[in-house]
Amino acid sequence: MPSPLFCDHCHSLYPADGLDHFALLGLTPQYDLDPAELRQRYLQVSRGVHPDYHGTGAQSATSLQVSAQLNEAHRVLSDPVLRAEYLLELTGGPPATADKTVEREVLCVAFALREEIAEAKAGGDSAALEACRARVQRMYDETRARIAQLARQLPGDADVRQRLRAALNSIKYTRKLQSEL
Amino acid sequence: MPTDNLILGIDLGTTFSLVAYVDEAGPHVIRDENGDGRVPSVIGLTPGPPGERPQITIGWPARRRAVENARTTVYSVKRLIGKGIADLERELPFLAYAVRPGPRDTVQIEIEGRYYSPEEISSIILRALRERAEAHLGLPVSKAVITVPAYFDDAQRQATRDAGAAAGLEVVRIVNEPTAAALAYGLGVRPAPHAAKSAGEPGRFSLPTPTCPTTSAEKSGPAAGQTVAVYDFGGGTFDVSILRIEDGVFQVLSTAGDTHLGGDDVDRTLITLVTREVAEQFDVSITSPTTKQALRSLAEEIKIRLGQQPQADLELDLGKGRIYRRTVTRDEFEQLAWPLVERTLAFCGQALRDAGLKPADIDQAILVGGSTRIPLVRRRVGEFFGRPPYTALNPDEVVAIGAAIQASILAGRRPDMLLLDVTPLSLGIETMGGAMGKLILRNTTIPCRATEMFTTFVDGQTAIKLNVLQGERELAADCRSLGEFILDGLPPMPAGLPKVEVEFLLDANGILNVSAKELRSGKQASIQIIPSHGLTRDEVERITRESIEFAQRDMTAHRRIDLLNQVEFDTHKTEQMLAKVGHRLDAAERQRIEADIGALRQFAQQTDDLDELYRRLTAFGHGTLHLAELGIREALVQTKDDKP
Repeated sequence: MPSPLFCDHCHSLYPADGLDHFALLGLTPQYDLDPAELRQRYLQVSRGVHPDYHGTGAQSATSLQVSAQLNEAHRVLSDPVLRAEYLLELTGGPPATADKTVEREVLCVAFALREEIAEAKAGGDSAALEACRARVQRMYDETRARIAQLARQLPGDADVRQRLRAALNSIKYTRKLQSEL
Repeated sequence: MPTDNLILGIDLGTTFSLVAYVDEAGPHVIRDENGDGRVPSVIGLTPGPPGERPQITIGWPARRRAVENARTTVYSVKRLIGKGIADLERELPFLAYAVRPGPRDTVQIEIEGRYYSPEEISSIILRALRERAEAHLGLPVSKAVITVPAYFDDAQRQATRDAGAAAGLEVVRIVNEPTAAALAYGLGVRPAPHAAKSAGEPGRFSLPTPTCPTTSAEKSGPAAGQTVAVYDFGGGTFDVSILRIEDGVFQVLSTAGDTHLGGDDVDRTLITLVTREVAEQFDVSITSPTTKQALRSLAEEIKIRLGQQPQADLELDLGKGRIYRRTVTRDEFEQLAWPLVERTLAFCGQALRDAGLKPADIDQAILVGGSTRIPLVRRRVGEFFGRPPYTALNPDEVVAIGAAIQASILAGRRPDMLLLDVTPLSLGIETMGGAMGKLILRNTTIPCRATEMFTTFVDGQTAIKLNVLQGERELAADCRSLGEFILDGLPPMPAGLPKVEVEFLLDANGILNVSAKELRSGKQASIQIIPSHGLTRDEVERITRESIEFAQRDMTAHRRIDLLNQVEFDTHKTEQMLAKVGHRLDAAERQRIEADIGALRQFAQQTDDLDELYRRLTAFGHGTLHLAELGIREALVQTKDDKP
């Protein structure tokens, strides 16, 4: 798919207003994507729009804006969690500011873990602390798998989008727990 | 060579600066008559007569006279650029020249009652490099790529760009030093290891052809994709960057460093040791600028000697017959330098973590910067990455070469190459309660942008003030303030109603551009920036203007030297002719000419009026025409007589 941003022949740049991250990279908007293809597309489009090739010309401002958008698209799409979050936004799912629900089972496990962590820290029990760390990691991996499974169903129905929202909130919550360790 | 769009590559270093360019044959470092590409980043500002500007010496002459002119010699100014006085607490005791607080949160260097900004001093170095390039190329040059440490913040980058502008250079790109080094490495550019010593031989390097940038892997860098760590330990700064190099793409994955960690700091461990022992043995504290400067040179020399031999002798004359003597062993030196080297390795660890890699994932650890000549550094880097470091690049020149390659990309001559760099520091704004609200995270690929919405708190409020920050800490007070950004000209509305969208855009130089728009009215807000650690637009313009006057003065100085030489030549030639054919003149004419010689010489020595001197020199020429004719005739006769 040719890039909508620039002409391969004359290197003219077009502003990327209104283009979503997938369109910018010439990709189909879906959760599953091949990392190698993503990288290859990213580099290919970069070669067309990077300020190094439009630096002093009249198109330098456009180049700067489009490059910044492209880098943002690449950053978001290369991270599975950010990608799911972005797809949810594209399909009209609830934003994190509107729906702060965290999955019940994650809350329960986290609640118990917090106490164990505090205890292990107080007692200087490094083995117990290591065990807690492993459990948080497992919880993180499981949540990530759920996110992937739900994001593949997008746009889906309202229920799917809501469950994905909760899973995304849960992974943020788990990360906070991880950083506390 | 297409010269209209020639862009220089400049490595503006703490200790040494270099200038390079690329032509069809490849990149060239411009060297002096001794074959050395390095210009010491040292400026001597000898005070001139009252009311006059000082005499400026640059580079080797200034460095050689640094001890005798301790107070008037400025070195390591890169450590001051874009900084405030509070940032330099640890720095100031080691400087032989005087530094005082400047406007806002800047510093100024005081030399004999005159004040210079670090940008001004840097611009003098840059102008010297530009002139060196113009003399070498035989044409005017107005554009440059200048390198900075990857870990330089916005203020330091802007200050460097301002220094370039003041030197009459359009700085078309600020590029990170480790990235520049990676460009040279990735293209397989390898200057001869002893290039600096091969006097008179212009350095020639070859670049693989654009279509096949990665041929002959053995000799010229990476074949297939490689992940490399560039360990750049310079005179004043340390950086480490992790890059992915593949098919002409140079992608920086992460960077970390310290802009106040370099060879200077290694020297200072020795300076501190000597200062302490001198105090113990002689009850003398080293405070005089001359002794400080002498000790600085000595420490640097000892460090270099210990790179080659297991021990070095040190001697410092303290006056009044007191001489401090000592032998420093390499082991002892390595113990002193050890904590500094460990700090660099901690940054390597951080950069690897940020890139999501382990030491074993690194295919090559590339050494750049003069401080990587220290054996301890090489050993520890090798141990950290689990492989011998790559040392085939000339650590002094590789950054300038990389800058020249980046310049050729910008000139549109390397469409096969793509350079993707990152911002070293997170960017954010001070939020309510004095926290740092991050908008762009460190190691994000540049250019990048973030937008944030703001509103008003008071009815009819037309301006919003933002404190923009760089850094990783939680509290705004612990981060670096880039300055106050005042969004002005909002249409008056009830409190909370305006929706001001502010865009923070980091460009390919890693420099911040801010724009703001009130969405309800669609009105673009104007932005006034009061930089914390840099110059205002007016100040940059003033320096630029003054340096143009400087240039004018330099021209005058050149003309004076030329005229004096001409006077010397003409009077000497006339004396020779008087000796040969003077007897053919009548006594009156001979006496007049002899008097003219004396008068012209005397006038030349004391006058500042060069136009008048030129007029008198011309008149002298007319007055000696008759003698010159006699001389020529005599010479012709002699030639005839000589013929067989």
